[in-house]
Amino acid sequence: MKRMVGLIAATLLAAPVWAQVDFTGEWAPAYHEDGPERLPGPELGDYMGIPLSDAGRLRADSYDADRISVVTEYQCRPHSSDYGMRGLGNLRVTREIDPANQNLVAFHTYMPAWGSMRTIWMDGRPHPPAYAEHTFQGFSTGVWEGNMLTISTTHLKANYLRRNGVASSDKRIVTEHWTRHGNFLTVIVVVEDPVMLTEPFVRSENWYLDPGQKLPQMYCEYAAEVPAPVGSVPNHLPGKNPFLTEVAKWYGLPVEATRGGAKTMYPEYRKVMPKPINPQPAKCERFCVCTTLADCNLNETVTAPGGAPAPRR
Amino acid sequence: MAGFMIAAAAALMAQPPGPPQPPRSAKAAAPVDLTGNWVSVISEDWRWRMVTPIKGDFASIPVNREARQVGEAWDPARDEAAGLQCKAYGAPAIMRVPGRVRIAWQDENTLKLETDSGTQTRLFHFAPAGGAPPQTPQGGEGTWQGYSIANWERAPRGAEIPDPVPIFSVRQGGQGRSLEVATTNLRAGYLRKNGVPYSAGTTVNEYYDYHKERNGDEWFTVTTIVRDPKYLTGPWITSSDFKKEPDGSKWDPSPCTSR
Repeated sequence: MKRMVGLIAATLLAAPVWAQVDFTGEWAPAYHEDGPERLPGPELGDYMGIPLSDAGRLRADSYDADRISVVTEYQCRPHSSDYGMRGLGNLRVTREIDPANQNLVAFHTYMPAWGSMRTIWMDGRPHPPAYAEHTFQGFSTGVWEGNMLTISTTHLKANYLRRNGVASSDKRIVTEHWTRHGNFLTVIVVVEDPVMLTEPFVRSENWYLDPGQKLPQMYCEYAAEVPAPVGSVPNHLPGKNPFLTEVAKWYGLPVEATRGGAKTMYPEYRKVMPKPINPQPAKCERFCVCTTLADCNLNETVTAPGGAPAPRR
Repeated sequence: MAGFMIAAAAALMAQPPGPPQPPRSAKAAAPVDLTGNWVSVISEDWRWRMVTPIKGDFASIPVNREARQVGEAWDPARDEAAGLQCKAYGAPAIMRVPGRVRIAWQDENTLKLETDSGTQTRLFHFAPAGGAPPQTPQGGEGTWQGYSIANWERAPRGAEIPDPVPIFSVRQGGQGRSLEVATTNLRAGYLRKNGVPYSAGTTVNEYYDYHKERNGDEWFTVTTIVRDPKYLTGPWITSSDFKKEPDGSKWDPSPCTSR
């Protein structure tokens, strides 16, 4: 009898890796921050809030929005696991349990945008060697810090920091911190990119539990949308992009601030911020509500103060 | 017999590891140290935070029609004349205002959070050791920072049903690492500086999560859930990121402004 109790207790106590918090479920994103950027898409030349390096800014300045229409390889390019959290991010989380010992092996995520599937290994396995394949979702491992799940992701392909040409490199390392508070999920994403950034880029996103959510499968077909010579890649040479100041003119912002950089992200920048080239409009006319795609008013026909045309998307 | 043995085993597992501990103060029980000097890093909502947003810009906030009408009538000069420059510095909005915060224990069960922008002070009231939870004062007028009740968040459960002797389950991490704050008794103000309104009936739930990064930087992220039956169509959820600074040398108190 005593032996059997001990055996049962030992069995129940044997599992060393429990999920301290269960993140599984259907999660719907709250676009309550940067709605216009994340829903219809960012304005060209909007690098605000990004600690861009000179190289990152040069790369972004070369972007032409026709690129996705002309270069078919871009059309079905998935969102990487770090950008996906900021982008169009309905999310499903499932967990994989080892039936033999009930240990948590991994969390799996699915996001309908480009059918992105990802695994976060929780079984203590190491990351692969540096020469291993890079993918859009990368290689992720997680550890518990109390009730916070901290995830490290390496082996990522180059992708977006913002989908207006602000790129991330394949040298970046991403750390995430997941916390669940009731039916809300917060994910803090920290991107360290020695090529495109001068300091870690820290953002946080929020979801709410939506058990009734049904996620679709996404199919992506290539199609040439704009006639162009074979092999051409729409771009702007340094100093030749005419669209970079539109966002500043449109919203009455200093051009320097729209160019991003770490110094623009701290409160003291407000004291040294240059004056805008155009005054701020008297009344909002673009994306004035914008918490869902349904209420985000594109209103492309409006003309900016000073006569600048509406920014291209 | 087997049921008894399993229950006995589970009961054994449910035993605390040592003798019962006396109740501890909130300060002594703190699972993370949030005290110190912190700066908000504006990597999100830049053009709604670092500059005063355009009048009528409600982007990302789930406002109703009435809120839009109020916001479109925003007049900062009127607020200045009425001495209401702090309307955009209330608890529902203050953690999105660029600036520095200073956090310290005022006493064993009260955590104080001060902001240099708008020179606001928030007090987070915990239950005293072994005592009843603090009670929100009844009556009286609301204030910009309202009345905040705090606790160290417990591990999530699906329902408030006690389960002191779990059978066939084991709980790990019985205490979370988050500071949970619930704020009521607010004075009506603005969610953003351009006059997006919140009412006096607004409630704010916050969760402060500490994280340390690979380069050694310490951060906290506060998830803020604002509910306002008068002006919002649903909860407004944001999360704001603060980096720890070595000292208070960049502390720069400045008064509330309306523009």
